[in-house]
Amino acid sequence: MPRISVDGRIIEVPESRTILQALDETGLLMAGIDVPHYCWHPKLSIDGSCRLCQVEVEGMPKLQIACNTPVADGMAIRTRSERVCSARQGVMELLLVNHPLDCAICDQAGECKLQDYAFEYGADASRTREPRRALKKNVELGPNIVLDQERCILCRRCVRFCDEVPATGELHVMGRGDRSVIETLPDEPLANDYSMNVADLCPVGALTTRDFRFKVRVWFLDDVPGVCTGCANGCNVTIGVSKNRVYRYQPRRNDAVNDTWLCDRGRLSYKRIGSGDRLAQASLRGTASAREPVSCGTAVAAAAARLQQLTDAAGAAALVVLASPHASNEDLFTLRRFCDALGVTARGAAVVLGPQDRLLMKAEQAANAEGARRLGFGPPDALLARVRCGEAAGALVFGHDVLDPAHLGGPEALTALETLVVVDLQDSALARCADVAIPVRHAAEREGTLTNFAGLAQRVQPAVEPGWEAWTDGEVVWRLGAALGLAGFEGAYDVRSVSRELAQAVPGFSGIDLDRVGEHGLSLAGVGS
Amino acid sequence: MVISPETRAAIDEAIARTPQPRGALLPALHLVQAEHGHISLELAAAVAEILGIRSGDVMEVVSFYDMFHARPQPRHHVSVCTNLPCSLRGARTLLAQLEAHCGVAAGEPTADGRLVLGREECLGACANAPVLRVDGTYHEKLDSEAARQLLDGLE
Repeated sequence: MPRISVDGRIIEVPESRTILQALDETGLLMAGIDVPHYCWHPKLSIDGSCRLCQVEVEGMPKLQIACNTPVADGMAIRTRSERVCSARQGVMELLLVNHPLDCAICDQAGECKLQDYAFEYGADASRTREPRRALKKNVELGPNIVLDQERCILCRRCVRFCDEVPATGELHVMGRGDRSVIETLPDEPLANDYSMNVADLCPVGALTTRDFRFKVRVWFLDDVPGVCTGCANGCNVTIGVSKNRVYRYQPRRNDAVNDTWLCDRGRLSYKRIGSGDRLAQASLRGTASAREPVSCGTAVAAAAARLQQLTDAAGAAALVVLASPHASNEDLFTLRRFCDALGVTARGAAVVLGPQDRLLMKAEQAANAEGARRLGFGPPDALLARVRCGEAAGALVFGHDVLDPAHLGGPEALTALETLVVVDLQDSALARCADVAIPVRHAAEREGTLTNFAGLAQRVQPAVEPGWEAWTDGEVVWRLGAALGLAGFEGAYDVRSVSRELAQAVPGFSGIDLDRVGEHGLSLAGVGS
Repeated sequence: MVISPETRAAIDEAIARTPQPRGALLPALHLVQAEHGHISLELAAAVAEILGIRSGDVMEVVSFYDMFHARPQPRHHVSVCTNLPCSLRGARTLLAQLEAHCGVAAGEPTADGRLVLGREECLGACANAPVLRVDGTYHEKLDSEAARQLLDGLE
């Protein structure tokens, strides 16, 4: 491995990398060694167009761009010498010659590399008196992305992204020199499944998402690490929260899962958190068809009484339990213990299937479908057949995925049931016909781990609080177990002790402790073997 | 609009001279423009298909070079060099005056289809700046009055 010196610091770096790549892979880039850059991105090809990453390499007469200069053993690099700083200042001045001074109304303000670097490396005042170029300020590149051509610094990250990642190539640099602009062809809008990544990639405020623009100033947002719940891939996200409201998901880099990308569907799936169709009130079906609102505690007690009645009359074999593939590993483990204690063997989980592709999108439209399988909640078909032909007297259903046409199709199939307890995020048709409906928390509102399609356990944590009384699936089950007097459900529900018990009890989950999973997840034992 | 068999044969000849088909893009564009007067999206798509690239790649090149036209062109091309030496000798002011005189912005053809004003990169006659070119003929050391008369004399 070549040894190089950067600002006098000796580091060993991987072979055949450029300076920026080596610094990125050793984790030093912008974390100790600041080499500012616009056009270079770790997951895109090298462009070398912005010229900001120039550094001094001993023995080379001119400054070199760090993004495209290969490292060699013994190379001595200076990233903050006087020559480098004055070159940076010059580059910044050129990049800013045509940039409008509209930070006050720009969505990127606060997370803008142009602002940051101008502050850090640029000159205090502009020396140009010429008018700046006047271009289109509001170009709809596609359904989700808006372009401000004046703000663009032509780093071509978005162009390279479209060419290289989804390989759809909708964006082009048209024109020449100071008349260059980013454009699409008239009949080819930027409409690929990953289009919104270009707004993250854009180092300035040129590309913004229609969804987020003008909603909130970014400095009011708290960034909470989370996991996208759109499908089984489990892409890592940063949840942008202000005043208990989620404003956006942005991809969080995890090279083992999603690199630095997120699909548009997943990105917009944050809307489910604050959506108007959330189940926000526990309820009992009254004598009339109207639902009677009750507290969660009352609802759990009522559900327990009904389940007790059912098992007393017809035995645990008459009860079908359908777990939610959106619930956490800890929830599902608690449910598994509940089923074992009650003697329920008819258990499974229904998963809705959707579109998939070669990049990130997985067919299973649930974040923990794999975890459900590994914890013994298999395909639901046999159980649903029993429900349909009236062999089951009661059902405890988590999530409404069973309503998918591939499973039950509609709530009519459940009318034969004596008892239907629904524990769900959404106020679905299923919840509306339940005897007892109990709301639960979204993955962004709770603590836990989710297992992605490849068996990687990833942690979620509360980013917001629901605006109503709601527990996690696991806590609902725990309280049900306690109300039924089942062994092992004594005391208050504690997700950490459940997590520890899960690690001990279920092969594969050993070592998966809530506090050890970390930012990038841990693979379950036996994965890949 | 389609590329004629003759033009197609000439493009194929150009391809045969380059290591990769896409290397023949510039000759192909010259040939297509010679045939049709401009390179429409449709023609760009046809060229792209021949060369195995995207029509966007072709349009990038068409938009890059001032001598390629994406739209049908008027009868006369008046190009004012706006490169550095000409600009220092007042070319940009001259262009603005001609725009005002013709009532159109550079790049926009006049309504009667008579002429289009354009900016050109270096015409290689810096010693006699400012320079403008009318359909391939150079007119040098121009002041705005002479340039206006020149334009008015075009059919």
